[in-house]
Amino acid sequence: MTPLPADVLAAFAPSAARRRRDRAARGVIAGLTVLALIPLVLLVYYLLRKGLGSWSGSFFTTDPTGATFFKNVSIGGIKSAILGTIEMVALASAIAIPIGVGVAVWLVEYGRAGAFANVVRFFVDVLTGVPSIVFGLFIYITLVITGLVGRGLAGYKGSLALALLMLPVVIRSSEVILLLVPNSLREAALALGAPRWKVISRIVIPTALPGMITGVLLAVARASGETAPLLFTVGGANKTTLGLGAQVNALPLQIYNDIISPTTAVINRAWGAALTLVVMILVLNLIARLTSRRSRVA
Amino acid sequence: MSPASLGSPAGAGRPHFQDELHSLEEQTLSGIDLLIDQLDRTLEALRHQDVELATLVIDDDDRIDGRYLEVHQGILSLLARQAPVAGDLRLVAALLHVIKHIERMGDQCVNVCKLIPLCGHEPPTEPHVHEMVLRMGTLARSEVTQAKAAFAGRNVELAEDLVRQDREINAIQRDIFRRAIEIGDEPDVREWAMTMILVARCIERIGDNAVDIGEQTAFVVTGLFREFSDSSHRG
Amino acid sequence: MTADGSSPPRAAAPRGRRRGSGDPAAKTNAAPAASEERPLTKQAHAVRLEKLRAFYGRAEQVKGVDLDFHANQVTAIIGPSGCGKSTLVRCINRMHEEIPDAHAEGRVLLDEVDIYGSEVDVVAVRRAIGMIFQKPNPFPTMSIFDNVAAGLRLSGAGRSDLHEKVESALRGAGLWEEVKDRLAQPGIGLSGGQQQRLCIARSLAVDPEVLLMDEPCSALDPIATLKIEDLIDELKLAVTIVIVTHNMQQAARVADRTAFMLSGELVEVGPTNTIFTNPTDRRTEEYVTGKFG
Repeated sequence: MTPLPADVLAAFAPSAARRRRDRAARGVIAGLTVLALIPLVLLVYYLLRKGLGSWSGSFFTTDPTGATFFKNVSIGGIKSAILGTIEMVALASAIAIPIGVGVAVWLVEYGRAGAFANVVRFFVDVLTGVPSIVFGLFIYITLVITGLVGRGLAGYKGSLALALLMLPVVIRSSEVILLLVPNSLREAALALGAPRWKVISRIVIPTALPGMITGVLLAVARASGETAPLLFTVGGANKTTLGLGAQVNALPLQIYNDIISPTTAVINRAWGAALTLVVMILVLNLIARLTSRRSRVA
Repeated sequence: MSPASLGSPAGAGRPHFQDELHSLEEQTLSGIDLLIDQLDRTLEALRHQDVELATLVIDDDDRIDGRYLEVHQGILSLLARQAPVAGDLRLVAALLHVIKHIERMGDQCVNVCKLIPLCGHEPPTEPHVHEMVLRMGTLARSEVTQAKAAFAGRNVELAEDLVRQDREINAIQRDIFRRAIEIGDEPDVREWAMTMILVARCIERIGDNAVDIGEQTAFVVTGLFREFSDSSHRG
Repeated sequence: MTADGSSPPRAAAPRGRRRGSGDPAAKTNAAPAASEERPLTKQAHAVRLEKLRAFYGRAEQVKGVDLDFHANQVTAIIGPSGCGKSTLVRCINRMHEEIPDAHAEGRVLLDEVDIYGSEVDVVAVRRAIGMIFQKPNPFPTMSIFDNVAAGLRLSGAGRSDLHEKVESALRGAGLWEEVKDRLAQPGIGLSGGQQQRLCIARSLAVDPEVLLMDEPCSALDPIATLKIEDLIDELKLAVTIVIVTHNMQQAARVADRTAFMLSGELVEVGPTNTIFTNPTDRRTEEYVTGKFG
């Protein structure tokens, strides 16, 4: 292939001013990226530096003792916090996921573009923007200080607050994924003589499943890290309690309490707990990514 | 609901195809013009025993044969590329038949011209037979002209009218046959009479082909194929 | 031409195509055309539409159509875009009403039973009247075997001899030889033409009476298209087939009868041969010769 003559090439070459502008723009974008990365990198660095030191076998297997002032009394680990977080988030998920998926299914398959469905969608959108502390306050006002279910702080009340938090996220993400299932699949199933509920349960949901799992796991990850809703509903504790009927410990609560302590060891424990929480959420995110790679719609 | 109220006006679709079809019809019908020229010269040669003119006609038949091949090839190409249907398909099928009939008519002119040298250079022995043959020729010519007009105008009545003229040609032919038998004993005369019978038969064939063109006209218009002549069975 | 000027007798009209309905003189209402001599695998039902009207909200898309689909024959519906042919076909298996705000009026008779009757179960109707869509849509989460079995499982039909039914359906769709060694592989791994035949097998598995095809070959390459057209020719021995198509040559190739629709109305219906050699209505003539549409 003969090279093009110089004057033809010159006609296609960008002008010097264009090149300058291009370079400037690229520089700006690269700069902004670096700027955004700085706090993230610093965060990870601090977490690792300050938190890794606290990790040990006993860190994960002993409860916090509550002692902070005396040097020769062990401060304990964070076992109850880890277990408490896992239990509460599990209960919250058990509540939020079925209800959330159910609402999403209704919105996509039955409500569609109807007026009532649009109202529901509007409220769901509103709820996604509500600050998490408001959910905590709501549970506080309705369940903690009233005698409806027995006064006082309890683990399951924290779960309820977390469930309220997760619900709009689950609904939105599930709705998006369900909408991505091609209508041709529903039509094919209907045309074969399947009743609508079977179309949903046997065709739509299995097809949307990987995407929905991703959305659900992200909601779970978010709920695990919320502190504010737990403040007024759960209260925190030191000992591991396996039931959720009374006050329970949770990782965010543990961090919240520990970080303001004057004792260095306690502060370090807080960093260790923060690192643990971040690692847990990281693992959940990785699982979410792996399942979404197998997704068949998005 | 007229097609004009829809997106594109009637006849606007497939312009290249319509042009091609129209051009094939033009070629076919102008083939009839070539044939009429041939027929005129044949009758002229017959009238004056003009052997040179007859030779010219025989040579010129190549033009009609060439036209047949052109149209035939054009139709094959059109069928392969354009997949005509309905009225267009009937027209294409009819053109194939019509150009064949034209080619056959051209061959009949050649046959007549080949017979002319056999008539000898003397004036015709039986002027009456001679006249009848020429009259047949004139009728045949008018039949061919009418067939062309009928096809070009898609005129079924005009096409059906061809049968009337053809009957007249057949009648004259039977007459010639009878007269030729009674014509006499001299070998020259008898030879001439036989030749006239053959000539008459060729002209009669031309007339039949013209009627066939009329039948194709009816087919294009009505979609039904019907025999016009009443000799074998009514269509 | 013989010497006395008469011509030998000729046939009354052009003969029918090999697969077509033969000449018009031989047409009867229920029996296959005279030129067909293959025995039926199954005597399927006929479908009749009486004054069928279909609406999207207030807009009337199909305006009072009366049309017969003969048993064990292929009927093609042709017409320009937006003439209502797809809507019409979707009314036959009551898929039209799945669209929000859409409804249909009139009667659709499957062998004298009005499937729009009040006591008729929609699900049962769709088992008897299957549908193949324009874009092949095998279920992505299922293997080839499961896809074909899906029809049986979803419709709650008998689960006995699933393997036999799946194999028979795949054979009926002309796909068995190509996939018999990989039934466990995902259905979406097949080529476009194979996927469409998989969808046909899926519909055949539930043993339908009628198969509706909405432009089944539009998304396929020419070779795959021809394979499916050959398949349709075999399938009609067991089911009644209605095919909507944009491609007139396809209608001419596969259909025994052809119906022409324009702006929601049925303009003309008749043996395919007649429609494409000598249609009665001027609008049909103009459409098939490509003068509009």
